[in-house]
Amino acid sequence: MSVIEYDVVIIGAGVAGLTAGTILAERGLKIALVTTGEPTACLSTGGIDVCSGRDNPLSAIRELPAQHPYHLVSDPIIKDSLENFLKVMTEMNLPYTGTIEKNRNILSSLGTYKTSCLVPLTMEATPQGTDESIHIITFKGLKDFYPGYIISRRKNTRFSEYDAGVSSTMSIASRFEEKAFFEKFLLWLEKLKFQKDKIAFPAVLGLESATEIVHTVSTLTGKPVFEIPTIPPSMPGRRLFNALKKYFRKKGGEIYWSWPVTGIEKSGRLIEAVATSSLGRPNSINARAFILATGSFVGGGLTATREAVIENIFHLPVHVPGPRETWFDNDYFSLNHGIGKAGIIVDASLRPADSPWKNIFVCGAILANTEILKNGCGHGLALATAHQAAQSCVEYLSHEL
Amino acid sequence: MNYEHCIRCTICVENCPVFRVNPDFPGPKQAGPDAQRFRSDRERAEDGWVLLCSQCKRCEMACPCGVEPAQIILKEQQRYGKEHPQTATHLLFANNYYLSALGSLTAPIANMIASSKTGKKFFRSMGISTYIPFPKFNFRTLRHEKKKISKGRKKVAFFYGCFINFYRPDIGRKIIRLLSSMNVDVVLPSQWCCGLPALGNGNMALAKYFAQKNAASLSNYIDAGYDVVYTCTSCGLCLLHDYPNILKIPQARKIAENTYDVHEYIIKLISDNYIKPDFREVKRKIAYHIPCHLRALEIGYPAAKLMSFIPGLECEILDDSCCGLSGSYGFKEKNEQTAIQLGNRAVALIKKTGMENIVADCGSCRMQLGGLSGMTTLDPAEILCESLGISDQK
Repeated sequence: MSVIEYDVVIIGAGVAGLTAGTILAERGLKIALVTTGEPTACLSTGGIDVCSGRDNPLSAIRELPAQHPYHLVSDPIIKDSLENFLKVMTEMNLPYTGTIEKNRNILSSLGTYKTSCLVPLTMEATPQGTDESIHIITFKGLKDFYPGYIISRRKNTRFSEYDAGVSSTMSIASRFEEKAFFEKFLLWLEKLKFQKDKIAFPAVLGLESATEIVHTVSTLTGKPVFEIPTIPPSMPGRRLFNALKKYFRKKGGEIYWSWPVTGIEKSGRLIEAVATSSLGRPNSINARAFILATGSFVGGGLTATREAVIENIFHLPVHVPGPRETWFDNDYFSLNHGIGKAGIIVDASLRPADSPWKNIFVCGAILANTEILKNGCGHGLALATAHQAAQSCVEYLSHEL
Repeated sequence: MNYEHCIRCTICVENCPVFRVNPDFPGPKQAGPDAQRFRSDRERAEDGWVLLCSQCKRCEMACPCGVEPAQIILKEQQRYGKEHPQTATHLLFANNYYLSALGSLTAPIANMIASSKTGKKFFRSMGISTYIPFPKFNFRTLRHEKKKISKGRKKVAFFYGCFINFYRPDIGRKIIRLLSSMNVDVVLPSQWCCGLPALGNGNMALAKYFAQKNAASLSNYIDAGYDVVYTCTSCGLCLLHDYPNILKIPQARKIAENTYDVHEYIIKLISDNYIKPDFREVKRKIAYHIPCHLRALEIGYPAAKLMSFIPGLECEILDDSCCGLSGSYGFKEKNEQTAIQLGNRAVALIKKTGMENIVADCGSCRMQLGGLSGMTTLDPAEILCESLGISDQK
C-alpha cells in the first residue's frame, strides 16, 4: 500500500494552487498541497480581477503585450475557468456575481473605485457611478476604516457609527455570527432613517455567513446593502481562501500546512519528491508531477537579492526585465515598476522554459511578464493559468504511463 | 526567522482565536514581532497581557514569512513569569503533574471532591474555572501497566503523557495493543510531565527540570534502538519543538530525530512494508477536529490518512478552529469566557457538518468539545482499534 505517494504535489495555497489542485483531484488523481503559510489571497479584496484595461476584460486581454501569460491560455479556457469559479463559489455558499464580458467597480475604503470582474454577492450593490447616495455604517474604534475619506471624495454620502463592543475587523466579523449580537444590531439599525440611500458597511459582516447577513439587513431595511473591502485583515479575502480550501478538501485533496519546501529529490529530467525539514527529521513527499504556484515576491515564490531574482523551490531560471536600475520607477506609486515583469517564462504547456524539468507546471503570479498591478489581473490570471496547468499536467500524466 | 522578517500583513491576526473574542489581547502581530522591537532584557517585563496567549501556534502556521509570533510570546511569558510573583493558579497548573499524581492515588475521593458543589466553589475561589467537568482521575494509571513484549523487531518507547496516564489509561492500553498487534515491542519508559504546562504558566525552571529528566530517560531508550512514540500532540510538540529551542535540552536533537506521532509511526510501518493492516468497515460519521498542536507538528494529518483507508467511515476534517481550552489555559477564570466562546464556535461548526462523533488526538480538545456539545468524543486510535478488531478487554 503506497501511503505518501501522490500523483501531483501542488506548491502554494493561493487561488492558483487551490484551483489547480481541485481540478486534478476531480479527475480522481491523488493530490497533496504543501504551503509555508496562508496565501496573499487572504489579503486581497476577494474580487476576481480579470483584466482592468477596458470595459470588457476579454478585449483588454487581447490588447496585452504578446509575452503576457494570458496569451498562453485559450479564450474558452479563460471563460471556463471563470464560469467554473462562479459555480464552485455558489456551491460553497459564497456566491459571486459578474460576467467575463464586463468589468465593474467596487468602492475602496479610501472612496476611490477599483475595477474588478467577478465580485462577491455582498458587493453586488456597489454604486457604479458617483450620483447615488450612500449611508455608511461603521463601527466604533474600527481601525483602518474612516468614512471621512469616502465622504471627502463623494457627494450624497453620510455615515452612522455603531458600538460593537470590539473594534477589529476579525472580532466584529465573529460577533455578527452571534445571534444575540446580530439581533441587537438590527434593532439599532431599524431606528436609523434612510432616504434613497444604499447602505454600505466595511467588509466585516461575518466570516462564514456574510451573504445571509447582507441579505437579512437588506430585507429588513428595504435598501440595497453592500460591503466595502478594508485593508488587511480582509474578510472577503479570507472568505475566498476558506471556500477554495474547503472545496479542495471536499474533492479529496490533502493540505500540509507550515511545510516550506527546503529541498528536492530528482532523477534525470524528473523531479521525484519535495522535502521539508520538519521538526526533527526531513520529511519528503513523492509525486509524479508538481505544480508551482508559490506566487511572486510577497507570496514567497520569488526572492530578490542585490544582483538577481531567485525562484525559491526549484531554482528555475527567472526572467528579470534588465539590470537592477530598470527594476524600479522613480515614482513609488507607479504601476510601471520593471520588477513587475519578473517571474518564470514558460512554454505553451506552462512548463518552465530553459530548464530540464519535464514534470513541473507553473501557474499564477509567479509567471513572468504578468504586471499584475498595472493590468489588474491577479486572481483572474491565477484561475486561467491554473486550469491550463492542470490540463497540461493531466496530459503529461496520461502519456507518462 | 526573527521578528524583523514580519511584513505586518496581519494574516496571523486573522488566525488568532483569542484575538477574536478577547479585546484585551492585542493579537500575535502586536504581542509578538511588533512589541519585540521595544523589549529589552535590561527592563522589567510589564506586558502581563502576553499571558492571554494560549500558545495554540496558529499564527506560526499561518505566517507566510516564517516568523514565529507564538515563540516570541512564549519567551516573553517566561520572562514575565520570572520577574513577577506566580499566582496560585499558575503554580497549581504548572505542577499539574504532581497534582494529578496525587489525584490518581486518591482517585475516588479526589473525583468526588472535584465534582461536588463545595469543591467547585473552592476551585472558583482559587480562580479555576468549572464550566466543563474536570476529567476523572483514574486509580489504575498506565504507569502500572505490565510491559508487553512480543517477538517483533521494531521497538518503541511509548511517551503516553499525563492526560492518558491519569485520566484515560484505557486509551493508552488500546494504543499499546494496537502497536503490539503490528508486531512492535512497546515499553513504557520512566517519564514525567513533558513540561508544556509549566511553560504555559511561565515557569521555565520547572519545565526545564521535567524536560531534563524525560530527555535522559528517552535518550537511553533511543541509544538502545528504540523509537519514541507519543500520542498527545501537545507533548509531542513540546518534545520536538520546545526541547531544542526554548528549553535548550542537550539530547533534544537526538530525541527529535527519533520521535513519532503514533499515527505517523503506523504510516511509516506501512510504507516500510513492515505491516499490511486489514482495515475493516467502521460505520461511523465522524467530525475530525484537528488539534492546533497537531498542525504545528508539521507532519500533515497522519490519523486522517489512516482513517481514510477505513471502509464505511465518513470523516470530515475541521482544522479552522481552536477548541479554546488549550490545556490549563481555559481552566483559568480570566480565560474562561475566551475558552467558552471559542469552544462554542468550534462546536457550532462541528454540528453543522451533521456528523455524529467528534474525533480528536488531543485529550484536552476532547474534554472541551465533548463537555460543550454533549457528543461522544473518541481518539483516532480508538477508531483504528475498532477497524482492526482490537478489543477493549484488558
